[in-house]
Amino acid sequence: MTPFNYAARSADPTDFIREDLAVAHREAWQHIAAPGSWLSGEKRIAVAEETRRARSCALCADRKTALSPFSSSGEHDHSDVLSPQLVDQIHRVTTDAGRLTRAWYTSLLSEGLSAEEYVEALGVTVVAISIDEFHHALGMPYEPLPAPLEGKPSHYRPSGAEIEEGQAWVPILAPGRTTPPEKDIFAGIPPGAAPNVIRALSLVPAEVRAWKMVSSAQYLSTAEMRSFETKRAIDRSQIELVAGRVSAINECFY
Amino acid sequence: MLRASIEYHGSQGDLRAITEGSKSGDSGVLHGVELTAFAEAALQGDPASLATARDNLRAVAGSQAVVDAAGVIANFQRMVRIADGAGISLDAPVGMMSSDFREALGLESFASAERSRELSHLQRIVAPLLRRVANFGLRRVGRRSRR
Repeated sequence: MTPFNYAARSADPTDFIREDLAVAHREAWQHIAAPGSWLSGEKRIAVAEETRRARSCALCADRKTALSPFSSSGEHDHSDVLSPQLVDQIHRVTTDAGRLTRAWYTSLLSEGLSAEEYVEALGVTVVAISIDEFHHALGMPYEPLPAPLEGKPSHYRPSGAEIEEGQAWVPILAPGRTTPPEKDIFAGIPPGAAPNVIRALSLVPAEVRAWKMVSSAQYLSTAEMRSFETKRAIDRSQIELVAGRVSAINECFY
Repeated sequence: MLRASIEYHGSQGDLRAITEGSKSGDSGVLHGVELTAFAEAALQGDPASLATARDNLRAVAGSQAVVDAAGVIANFQRMVRIADGAGISLDAPVGMMSSDFREALGLESFASAERSRELSHLQRIVAPLLRRVANFGLRRVGRRSRR
């Protein structure tokens, strides 16, 4: 059966789901299943599975209500495919991202997780969450995860990615330091105007491309973001009201 | 971006809808109450509340609006986690453009606000002027496009 066959699955048959959404979600699933830059297909699928497991994880629920998210100890509900550091990353990003700290991120690195693995897992986590959240919002069951594809990670690291103090915890690319393989990431953005949120995952360029692809369908493309006229059923102020409310509930300052 | 789009469309908006949500009443954005209620139910509500929120939005704005709003909710469930997970700070131009309402809406109290530097003295002086120029430009471009 074709994944994301929305015509057959909508909770309400009048909710016609645009084909570009189905296509983007399908491509994102293929992207997650394939070997990445630092994680195998098996591990990437395990990351997506862990985002779902985190929603019912007892430790995460306990931490979410604690005054400090670092006061509760214990073990996450988890599979055995991923390291404890990756499991902790995925669970915290899924359930309590607003209270992450640089000290916590640094502790994961000191325990053996690489910045590249962290960023790739973050990319897979957020794409999986956004597709699941789309289904949840429309009252549809989650799409079954695809089978992982065989192959080895490429270990591709863009030259020029480095820690920029005061900009991000993770190494990021500056538009002025991109080499031809990564030029597309900042395409259409005036020099010096690349927002940090586009640079955030740039240590693993394939993850930037994946979220931009999904974002173009769920929200707006980079070019459409600079225009205030949309081709959606809701206008730009309605879109931004929803975006702002979601961010505020999540206590996201950005 | 909400304020920019309100300026562009030449309308009046109440940004408290972002922090206070559907309870804040009329945000000045068309179907704002139903849209924010849908977002709240998607993030917090039980399935019955979510279904009701969908029905209410569908009744006033149509089915396609429900699907498009669901896409935006999904997208920003991703974006907030990218920002928080990568520990990015607020870009300086955005910080200058939004410093007034961030303070007014209490966004500075969010834990993630600690990642962003405070505006410099010079940036604080320039920010109101920058906002006026930007808002004037947005209104003008918006008027032109509506002609």
